[in-house]
Amino acid sequence: MEEIYAIEMLGISKRFGNILANDHIDIRLKKGHILALCGENGAGKSTIMSILFGLYEPDEGVIKKEGEVVKINNPNDATKLNIGMVHQHFKLVDTFTVLQNIILGEETLREYTNNLNIFKKSFNFLNKHLFKLIDYKKARSEIIEIINKYDLHVDLDKKIKDISVEMQQKVEIIKMLYRHNDILIFDEPTAVLTEQEIQDFLKILKNLKKEGKSIIFISHKLNEVFSVSDEITVIRKGKYIDTLLTKDTSKEEISALMVGRKVDLNSKKHQKSIGEEVLRVEHLTIIDPISKKKVVNDVSFNVRKGEIVTLAGIDGNGQQEVIYGITGIKKTSGGLILLNGKDISKFSIRERMKSGISHIPEDRHKYGLVLDYTIYENSILDRYYEKPFSKYFFLHDKEIKKYTDHLINKYDIRSSNEGNTITRSMSGGNQQKIIVGREIEREQDLLIAVQPTRGLDIGAIEGIHHLILEQRDKDKAILLVSLELDQVLTLSDRILVMYEGEIVGEFKPLHVNRETLGLYMSGAKKAIVNAIKEGNDE
Amino acid sequence: MNKIKSFFTSFIKKDATKTVVTSLWCALLGLILGFIILLIINARDAAFGMTSVLGNYLIFSSHSDRLNYFGQALAKTAPLIAMSLSILVCYKAGLFNLGGSGQYSIAVIIITLLGVGANMPWWFVLIIAMIGAAIWSMISGALKAFFNVNEVISGIMLNWIALYLTNGILSSNTSIWDSAHSESYRISSGSNSFIPSIGLEHVFAGNQIVGLGMILILVVVAIIYILFKKSTVGYELKATGFNPDAAKYAGINYVKNVLIATAISGALAGLAAVLNLQNGFTSWRLSSVTPEIGFQGISAAFLGGLHPIGIIFSSYFIIHISEGGSMITDLGFAPEVASIMTSVIIYLSGFTAFMKEMIRKNEIKDELNRLNREKEKKS
Repeated sequence: MEEIYAIEMLGISKRFGNILANDHIDIRLKKGHILALCGENGAGKSTIMSILFGLYEPDEGVIKKEGEVVKINNPNDATKLNIGMVHQHFKLVDTFTVLQNIILGEETLREYTNNLNIFKKSFNFLNKHLFKLIDYKKARSEIIEIINKYDLHVDLDKKIKDISVEMQQKVEIIKMLYRHNDILIFDEPTAVLTEQEIQDFLKILKNLKKEGKSIIFISHKLNEVFSVSDEITVIRKGKYIDTLLTKDTSKEEISALMVGRKVDLNSKKHQKSIGEEVLRVEHLTIIDPISKKKVVNDVSFNVRKGEIVTLAGIDGNGQQEVIYGITGIKKTSGGLILLNGKDISKFSIRERMKSGISHIPEDRHKYGLVLDYTIYENSILDRYYEKPFSKYFFLHDKEIKKYTDHLINKYDIRSSNEGNTITRSMSGGNQQKIIVGREIEREQDLLIAVQPTRGLDIGAIEGIHHLILEQRDKDKAILLVSLELDQVLTLSDRILVMYEGEIVGEFKPLHVNRETLGLYMSGAKKAIVNAIKEGNDE
Repeated sequence: MNKIKSFFTSFIKKDATKTVVTSLWCALLGLILGFIILLIINARDAAFGMTSVLGNYLIFSSHSDRLNYFGQALAKTAPLIAMSLSILVCYKAGLFNLGGSGQYSIAVIIITLLGVGANMPWWFVLIIAMIGAAIWSMISGALKAFFNVNEVISGIMLNWIALYLTNGILSSNTSIWDSAHSESYRISSGSNSFIPSIGLEHVFAGNQIVGLGMILILVVVAIIYILFKKSTVGYELKATGFNPDAAKYAGINYVKNVLIATAISGALAGLAAVLNLQNGFTSWRLSSVTPEIGFQGISAAFLGGLHPIGIIFSSYFIIHISEGGSMITDLGFAPEVASIMTSVIIYLSGFTAFMKEMIRKNEIKDELNRLNREKEKKS
């Protein structure tokens, strides 16, 4: 017997100008299954889903729902076919309440009713010709039913701008369920969530599946893909590669299919002897000037030569502030920062960099690059004043070009117009390579890397991991801030978990698992830690 | 032939070319709109009015008159160039200098006191006037750098303070104030404070207001060009302007750069006053509005594509049109008509960015058409 598919997309092609975004892609979603759609950034995942949701019209190919050919010209058609989608960036009205957002476009209406018979005539007129009232009461009871059924608890009367991202995502899910959608598309749903929230989200997905919904789930995080999906479809550079049963495949196989070659994200680093102390932070405290809260509270740790120390934690627990304090971008309220034994806590940003800090900042657009500058200009951003790049207030174009071309070659920075390319026009991965290259080439004792792989695809992540490990093997001290547990576990020699501005746990990656880390990161477990390690304890 | 063609296409595609083309388009559009306004007011004389606006000094029949007035146009262009550069320097550093008028006024006080009053050597007056204007401008800069006060607002307020300071100081001093005309005395051509004419007056039919100032302003243009193209100071200023956060990350001192930018731009506004007053061309008139040049400078800077070289041409264009405009009052056009016309042109200069975008879109369309044609050929 032929299997019935909830959705079949056969031979779909879509061209944007010169670019073939989708080249004969086949997607088959079985009823009541979860299909994961994997591929690198720009592989065409979002495009094919947008076609299914009616945002784009395909140039070729057919879409079948339960074996019947359907035409989806716009999102309204998709909704009529009970197809719902949660976009990567949520489509919610910030100033509306949760309830209003859920029913927006699908309002249940009621007529004007009243006890004032005098106005009856005019109300009749209104009911007939003008507008009706929204029946919030009925909508609310329907939504509460959904919430209880799927365990999606949100406060219906809060405004969207006042609730967390995780809650907003739940709102998006309720929105689909309220519209009785049975085919649900999620476009990179976990990109905005923390580790703990991701676990909750995956539970919700399983619940939805249990209730008979068919789900397409776009992601390039393989851990999640393997924990919930039934099948995996891989696309690469717009082409359909393969569809595999999750239980018959492995993460290694899928990532190799995604990138087109074998990748090794768990690049096993060889043991390295740890040298003398480079950075020592003692009792560092930072008070936020506006909220007057201690965003960093009495933090002490050190980083030694040949060691990667990672500050792990859920976003916003003071990791960034520690780095701002060390690099001088934010004022510290107390504590010592010793670099090679010298107290730098009173130094200016430039003096600190000169005394031996390289810094890959977390936000490449805000801090890392002047986007309107060319690659030439950006590659000397924090050393333009040094010889040989300038002398007596004058820039040496020749030296700058020579150095930039060296960076471009060594770090494989790709752009349309070589060094003259304005960095704004480049891809995120290549922008990041400029910063990573620039900071590594400064050859300082301490390399600070804050979320160095944020928003990059697997190929680029692998490259940057490799570069960071190489620096460690060159006896540099490395301070890493990462929100991704995989990265924390593969790269670190020592993990410091931060929670609400304090270091609450210190671990060796070999002696800890994801679950334990998660408990410390969420504040469920706590230890008092002075993370200064004396001597060579290895 | 192909070589010439490829050179031409690469020339067309250059960003600089696009800026020039858009600026020209804006000027042309402004002229057309101006002509329509003339037609509405007085259709009979509109054509002649337009030719006199465009022709300016060229409509004079005598050769020496033409040269004389050409000289005058050049002498008026120089201060406008200085003012535009003042706007440009601030703009590159991410600031908007709306206080040019005030800085200009402060320089006027210094020039009149030292030049007319004390007959000091011209170069000394020039330097002190520029320093004075720079310090005045740095008030705005310091407020911005230390207290994050918006420089536009502080600039406007300082304009009015400077205006009444100038009115008050100059008119209360009888040795420099011509109360009959309610204006300050001019710097006479024989005095120490007069910028030497270095023989240029012979070229321009005895017009003494053209002089060393012309060369001076070209040198200043070159300095500003090099500042932004080649120097670390310019690199820092631009980085601060484009992305203050990244500049901070790179260890560039924000406070220092804001102060430097406002100081340079104040000095340039002061130079505008020097070039206007120290050739005996104008003096300070009792006034209740801030000097117009501070705002004309903004238009010239934008019409010139925010490029030092472009500013030379845009400044001359604006002066040419407004001078020409002042000549059409004889034809029954109110003097304000000239101002309307120039304003239209100037406002259109604000469209430069918009026009650039239009050109870019057209290019994309052409490229797509070309690709389609190629595809058709293949199939």
